[in-house]
Amino acid sequence: MRLTIKDVTASQIVSQTETSPSPNVVLPASSGGTFGRLMRFAIANIRRRPERFVLSVLGIALAIAAVTVVRTISTSFAITGGDSVTNAIGGHAIWVVPAQGVTYDSGAGALVADGPPSDITLPAGWTGTEMIAGLWYSPHGQVAVYGVAGTPAGKAVMSAQLAQRLGVSDGGPLSLAGHTVTVSVSGGSPALTVSPDLAKDVVKNVGWWVADEPTADHGRNDLGKLFGSAVGLPFTQNPAQTPDSSGKGLVYDTTTGSGALSFAQKYASAFSGQVTDSTLGLISIIGLVLGFVIAVSSFLASVQERRREFGIMSSIGLADEVLYFFLVESGVVFVAAWLIGVLGAGVAVWAVLPHLATPVAWAQASATVAAFLPAMAIVGAIVPVHRLLQQRPVALLTD
Amino acid sequence: MLKYGLAYGLLSSRRRAREMLLPAITIATGAFLVVIVFAMSAGIKKQAAGLGHADEIGHAIVLIAVTVLLVGVVEAAVATTRTIAHRTRELGVLGATGVRSRPVLMALLVEPVVTAFFGALGGAVIAAVVGAVLGTVGAVSSGVSAGGTVTGIVIAVAVSVVAAVITSVVPIWRAVNRPPIKSLSAS
Repeated sequence: MRLTIKDVTASQIVSQTETSPSPNVVLPASSGGTFGRLMRFAIANIRRRPERFVLSVLGIALAIAAVTVVRTISTSFAITGGDSVTNAIGGHAIWVVPAQGVTYDSGAGALVADGPPSDITLPAGWTGTEMIAGLWYSPHGQVAVYGVAGTPAGKAVMSAQLAQRLGVSDGGPLSLAGHTVTVSVSGGSPALTVSPDLAKDVVKNVGWWVADEPTADHGRNDLGKLFGSAVGLPFTQNPAQTPDSSGKGLVYDTTTGSGALSFAQKYASAFSGQVTDSTLGLISIIGLVLGFVIAVSSFLASVQERRREFGIMSSIGLADEVLYFFLVESGVVFVAAWLIGVLGAGVAVWAVLPHLATPVAWAQASATVAAFLPAMAIVGAIVPVHRLLQQRPVALLTD
Repeated sequence: MLKYGLAYGLLSSRRRAREMLLPAITIATGAFLVVIVFAMSAGIKKQAAGLGHADEIGHAIVLIAVTVLLVGVVEAAVATTRTIAHRTRELGVLGATGVRSRPVLMALLVEPVVTAFFGALGGAVIAAVVGAVLGTVGAVSSGVSAGGTVTGIVIAVAVSVVAAVITSVVPIWRAVNRPPIKSLSAS
């Protein structure tokens, strides 16, 4: 490079020379600390190729949006799954489901049984009851009807939301498949609770058993085994296991025998696993992999263009620092992509799946996706820097 | 002039076929997913029905498959920025010799369009073959629909090409309209 001095008089040069700092004077450091300087460096590089920054952010943001949408749906499923199992079995220790299994009906918003309650006799000392749980096709859509012992005949207990859906009020009459019952609004369960006989009349003989251990067995962690061997049914603590359709049913032990998660939480995760294991989950993961490929390819392109710059840096002993430059740049790209991606996913979920997802599920999903980011950002920075540092500074400078 | 621009673009993209491989693969992955989702829509609807909210989940699956296709297409645009950086001097020479910006824009757009078209077509054809094989073997209980496959192929190719043009046009336009002296003196 040739330096040219224009319009500068000799006296000016002399005066500048006189005021120039002596070698002993330390130059004032730029403000903001190390991280601030790295940020400024990263932003300067982004501004040099803004279109590439925009494109890589766009690609990663789209991938993050896809994963966030899937995670939001699966978290919503987990929330409804956990709530529905709590509503279905309450605080009982044992849940005996029929051989045909139980399903979650999205119209009713509750779990219902697909077959008749298992034919069992309660072992001595155990307390429990058969519970009718089926679907009633009301004029206002499906409603889950639970027949719970102790509910007075002629009474239907329901939540305020269900009463509103069915167009009835507290104390008013409700026509339930030919029977007229009095409405009693209480609780928050999405199912309609009536006496077992009435429930059998309305939804036929479908349901499950719930049971509790004798006082002497309180606190034991093998209640499922005890109950299962007493009634001759298989037992499990894993809610993801479903009953054998040719058997007589399955005993779920809902006390926390293994692990720290409650049965409802495990049920919830099995429920949300249906979404993440489905086509939806698979597609979104492929999207995330493609997003990562874009990030790495864009960083590699950037390294290729800045070979000389890094050659100069490594020749003055800044070889290791190159990694920091890239880490900060990669961090900026991923954080920007995450922000845009989760906001975009929020808008998409709100527009396409308004009934399915809640803001809580979206916030949880965004946090889950954020957990992937540090690893992606670090690997995204290391790959190109590794390629760069394999070469000698002179090779970088002479290209 | 536009005709010459296109011919010039085609010739140069033949030279740069290796650089076009990665974006073509990412686009092919996206197109593969879109076509499979459309071909097996009956089976996927059944799976969605098992989860409840069949229609909504069905829409979400299509939306996410198309989003993944767009992620693949963005790689084509990133590759375009790489091309522009490589060919800065060439652009300077073209500008300095008086070639107008439109033919140059056309020439540079050939690369992302060709990548998107062949990438999407390749992925879509593989998906159609895989779908047909799975359908014949009976691995997909709900069957593979021929109509769905064709819709998927058309959507995959059209979305890829349009998205590749939209995402590449701005960086190319900025490079083409740079003063030739700047492009020529770039290191």
